Amino acid sequence: MTNAAADEGAPDDLTVTFAALADPTRRAILSRLSAGEATVNQLAEPFTLTQQAISKHIKVLERAGLVSRSRAAQARPCRLEPARFDAAVDWISRHQRMWRERYDRLDEHLAALRAGQSGGSPEEAGA
Amino acid sequence: MTKPGEFSYRRVHRASAELLFDCMTQPQHLTSFWGPDGTTAPIEGITVDLRPGGAFETVMLNVADGSSYTMRAVYLEVRRPDRLVWTEPGVEGGMTTTITFTDLGDGSTEVVTHQTNVPPSYRDPAARSGFETSLRRFGEYVAGLGSG
Repeated sequence: MTNAAADEGAPDDLTVTFAALADPTRRAILSRLSAGEATVNQLAEPFTLTQQAISKHIKVLERAGLVSRSRAAQARPCRLEPARFDAAVDWISRHQRMWRERYDRLDEHLAALRAGQSGGSPEEAGA
Repeated sequence: MTKPGEFSYRRVHRASAELLFDCMTQPQHLTSFWGPDGTTAPIEGITVDLRPGGAFETVMLNVADGSSYTMRAVYLEVRRPDRLVWTEPGVEGGMTTTITFTDLGDGSTEVVTHQTNVPPSYRDPAARSGFETSLRRFGEYVAGLGSG
């Protein structure tokens, strides 16, 4: 497993990312930001939450690396940071790929067993 | 139950549930397919103590550079031919793998592999509940990115 070392080094960042994503308000904020930059005011509009509450959620998303805030403008608009999403998606796809390849090889093994059975090689068929 | 870092992988294989269960639990089968592409899993490096609490270990050798990686797991559930559960305490704060085998009645078997990673800091039910939606959002997000 060539990615084993990377796997073992990854949990902290991913734990923070997954935890940040586990809240519906934060996911709604991310969905909004996927359409483009927005200020805290703009992000607070669709919610019945205070601006302070929204700011707290944004801080969590910032700490998770999912969102960054511009320092150029006074309103400091938020924007989505795709890199951390990609890391989480990579984690999932890496594990899925490992299993897909494993089951591909299992299919080959099963085909070999079937061939062995019809070809009269009993030890190939296993227990 | 939903957990962070969770996913399922589903396949249908042309074999009985019994044979598939045996393939997943017998070294003479495992050695043929277990190691990831580019590695081998020599039969002498496979330990199977097929009972709850028993060891499931495989040494995987990288063909290109000769390096090795040992998976160290412990069986949690052993129910031939329906269900097999093991956990790897040393991986990502504890990785649990559940494999279910469902006879489809036409000579094929559905195999669903479910893996969960539960970091210790993240075990409360409220945090867990949002995770499945998160994964769905990931999917939508990735689809929205196109190739990126």
